[in-house]
Amino acid sequence: MAEERGPALAGGLVCPVPTTQYDRVQLGHGSGGKMSAALLRDRFLPALGNPVLQELGDAAVVGIGPAEVAISTDTFVVSPLEFPGGNIGSLAVHGTLNDLAMMGARPLYLSAGFVLEEGLSFEVLDRILAAMGKAAAEAGVPVVTGDTKVVERGKADGVFINTTGIGMRRAGFTPGPSRARPSDAVVVSGMIGRHGIAIMSARENLGFEVQVQSDSANLYPMVERLRGALGGTVHVLRDPTRGGVASALNEIAAASGVGVELDEGALPVPGPVAAACEMLGLDPLYVANEGILLAFVPAPFADEAVDALRMHPLGRDARQIGRVTGEHPGMVVMRTAIGGTRVVDMLPGDQLPRIC
Amino acid sequence: MCLGIPGKIIERHEDAGMPMGTVDFGGVTRDVCLAYVTDEVSIGDYVIVHVGFAISKVDEEEARRTFEALQEMSQLDELEWMKDVAQKSLSGMPPERRA
Amino acid sequence: MKYLAEYRNAAVAKALVHRIRQSATRTWTLMEVCGGQTHTIVRQGLNDMLEGAIEMIHGPGCPVCVTPLEQIDRAVHLAGRDDIIFTSFGDMLRVPGSDCDLLQVRARGGEVRVVYSPLDALELARKNPDKQVVFFAVGFETTAPANAMAVWRARELGVTNFSVLVSHVTVPPAMVALLESPDNRVQAFLAAGHVCTVMGWTEYEPIAAKYRVPIIVTGFEPVDILEGTLMAVQQLEEGRHEVENQYVRSVRREGNRPAQELVSKVFTLVNRKWRGIGEIPMSGFGLTEEFAAFDAERKFGLEDIRAEESPECRAGDVLVGRIKPMECPAFGTRCNPEHPLGAPMVSSEGACAAYYNFARFRSAPPLEV
Repeated sequence: MAEERGPALAGGLVCPVPTTQYDRVQLGHGSGGKMSAALLRDRFLPALGNPVLQELGDAAVVGIGPAEVAISTDTFVVSPLEFPGGNIGSLAVHGTLNDLAMMGARPLYLSAGFVLEEGLSFEVLDRILAAMGKAAAEAGVPVVTGDTKVVERGKADGVFINTTGIGMRRAGFTPGPSRARPSDAVVVSGMIGRHGIAIMSARENLGFEVQVQSDSANLYPMVERLRGALGGTVHVLRDPTRGGVASALNEIAAASGVGVELDEGALPVPGPVAAACEMLGLDPLYVANEGILLAFVPAPFADEAVDALRMHPLGRDARQIGRVTGEHPGMVVMRTAIGGTRVVDMLPGDQLPRIC
Repeated sequence: MCLGIPGKIIERHEDAGMPMGTVDFGGVTRDVCLAYVTDEVSIGDYVIVHVGFAISKVDEEEARRTFEALQEMSQLDELEWMKDVAQKSLSGMPPERRA
Repeated sequence: MKYLAEYRNAAVAKALVHRIRQSATRTWTLMEVCGGQTHTIVRQGLNDMLEGAIEMIHGPGCPVCVTPLEQIDRAVHLAGRDDIIFTSFGDMLRVPGSDCDLLQVRARGGEVRVVYSPLDALELARKNPDKQVVFFAVGFETTAPANAMAVWRARELGVTNFSVLVSHVTVPPAMVALLESPDNRVQAFLAAGHVCTVMGWTEYEPIAAKYRVPIIVTGFEPVDILEGTLMAVQQLEEGRHEVENQYVRSVRREGNRPAQELVSKVFTLVNRKWRGIGEIPMSGFGLTEEFAAFDAERKFGLEDIRAEESPECRAGDVLVGRIKPMECPAFGTRCNPEHPLGAPMVSSEGACAAYYNFARFRSAPPLEV
C-alpha cells in the first residue's frame, strides 16, 4: 500500500496529506467514471490490447468474410435483483442489445451465462428468466446458448448474469465514439435519471420511496428510425448507462477530441427524479439510464433526428440538449438555467449522497 | 452541512413516542422526524428537512411576499434593461459591465 | 419542487445580478460560510456573473473539509475493527486520513455503511445487537439536533451498542477567528441559512457590531444567494453593519428552540481543531458527561490516536480564503479529485473540488484531458 507523503509543491512546501493510491479494486472502479477508465487503461488494455479493443466502443466490430459483425458482452451485478420497472434479467437482455445497437448493428443472437448463488429462491429465478424471455422475444433476438454455474452462499449477490450478443452492421451506417464533429447537435431520446433512482429507491438504507420506474428498454427500434431518417450522417450513438449522461458525453468528447456544450434548461428530468436527487445531493447528469440514447448528428439534421425519435413511443420526450464545439476539447461545459457556466466533469468514482 | 430541502407533510404518526411524519418532496416521500417542529405543523404544511429531521416550518406567507417583491423588481428591471441595451448597443458596450 | 424551483428563476436571478452591479460603486469582498452555498455559487457560475462588483471568498463552511486529520484516523481505526459497523454520511468516505480513507477500509473488508440520517444508524444498532454501531457525527450546528436526538433516543430505548464519534464545529468562533486575522479581507458575510434555522441569529449581532461587518442570513439557491449578496452590498454602500435575514421562509431570530434545548442537554461546548486552521477555542460540540457511554472516543479508548498536520499545507489558506484554489501550485495538476492532496479537493463542497469540477476551464490554464 502506498504510504508516501504527498509530493513536494513549488516553494519547498510538502503537503502532509498523502496521495491516495489504490493497490486493490475499489467499488468506485465499477462506477463508470474516471476510476473505471483508469482501470481499463492501466491494467486491462496493456494485457489484452489489440486495435479493436483499444477503440473501447460499446461493441466491437470485426470482419468475418465480407460481413461486418458486431460483438458485445456485458455482465450484470445489480442489487437489488428486482426493482420498479424490471429485474436483472430484462436488464441483461436490454443492456447487450443496446450496446450492439449503439454501434449501428442489428442485434441477431444472444448468449447468457449465469452465476447462481446457493439459496436463490426458484420464485425469484423464475421471474428473472421470464423477464429475460419476454425481453428477448419482444426484440426478436433469441438466446441461443448459455451456461450456468452455482457458487456457495455469499459468493454472488443472488445471481450474476453475463450476456453476449452478436449483430450485423449495415453498410454506410457506422456510428462510433470518435466521430463527433464541431457543430453537431447532441440529442437525447428521453427523460434522464430514471434507472439509477429506481434502483436506489429499492435499496433499504436510504429509506425513501419514489414513483419512478427503471427505463430499461430495447433501443434498437429507435436506432432503426434514426437510420431510416438520417442514414450514415448519424455520427455517434451512446446509451448513457453507469455514470449517466455526463460520463457518456465526457467519453465521447475525449474520443473525438471535441468539446460539448449542454443547455441545463433543455435537460429532460422527471419531477420525482429531480426531487430524489435534491434529497440526496445527487446530480441527475450522473445517474444511470438503461432505456435512452444520445445521438450526435450534424446540426442541419437535428430536427429530423428528434422527429424520427418521437415517432417511437420510447422517444416521445426526445429533444436536443446541446452541441459540439471545437473549443475546450475533451471537456463538457454546461450553460446553467440562470445564464452561468459550469464544467460537467467525469466523477472519480461513485457519486456519494451528500449532506452539505 | 446544510443540505436541507423543503417538503410537504402528508401524514403523521409516532414511533415509540417520537413524532414522525411522511414528507413528500415533489414525488419522493420519506419518513421524517418531526420532534423539533411538532407543535407548529399540521398535515399540508411545508418543512425544511435535513438528514431526516424537520428543522423548520416553511413560512409560506413570508415566502410568497418576498418572492412577489423579487418578481416585481425583476419586471421593472427588464424595462430598465431594455433601455440599457438600446443605449449601450450604440456605444458598443454590454450593459452588465457598468461598474 | 415547491420552494426550490422558484429560487432558481432565471429572470429573477438576472435581475438581481443587474441590481448588484448597479448598486456596487466598488468591488466588495464577501465570504459565504457554508459549503452548500459555495456549491451553488460555483456550480451556477455566480462569481463569474458578479465579477468586478463582488469578490466571493469561500469560507471554511465544509465540515468535511475541516474535520481534523486525527478524527479521520480514529474513524478509520474503528471501521477496521471486526466488531464494529461504522456508519457515516456519504461525503466523509473519500476524505484522506494519515494512512487511507474509509472507502479503502471498506475495500479491505471493514464494514462501512453510508446512511442518510443518524436515526438510520441507530436502527442499524437495534437490528444488530451483536455488533457495535458507531456513527460519525460530523457537522455544523445544523446537524447537531439530529445527532443529539439519535443519542437521546439510544438512551431512551436502552440501546447500548450505539455510539457516536463526534466532530461537530460551530460557525461564530470561526468567523471571529477570521475577522481577528491581520490579513482578513472579508467585508461582509453570507451566514449559513440552515445553521441559523437551528440557532437563530442572535450570536451574530455582537459580531456585526464589534467588527463592523454586515452579516446576511442567506439560503442556498441562486436567487437566495444573489438576494443575500444584494442586501450585503446595500449595507456596505450605506455604511451599515447589521444582521439581516434573507432566508425568511426558514429562519427566525430565535431559531428552533426545542432543537437548541436538546442539543444543550446532549452536547457541551469544547475546543475543536479545524483541519488546516488549527484549534479554535470553544468552537465545537462534545458529548456531556451524562452521555459519556455513547461517546465512541471514550468507549473505544481512542485518545492515543493523534495526528499532527503540517502548518505548511495550503488547504488551510484556501479554507480561510487567503488564496483561491487555482492559486495553489498543486491545483489541477498534482491535486485533483482522483488524487486529492487535501480535504477541500475531496469533498464535493470543498472550494477546490467545486472550482475543479465546475469552473476550471475558465480560471486555470488548459489541462491535458
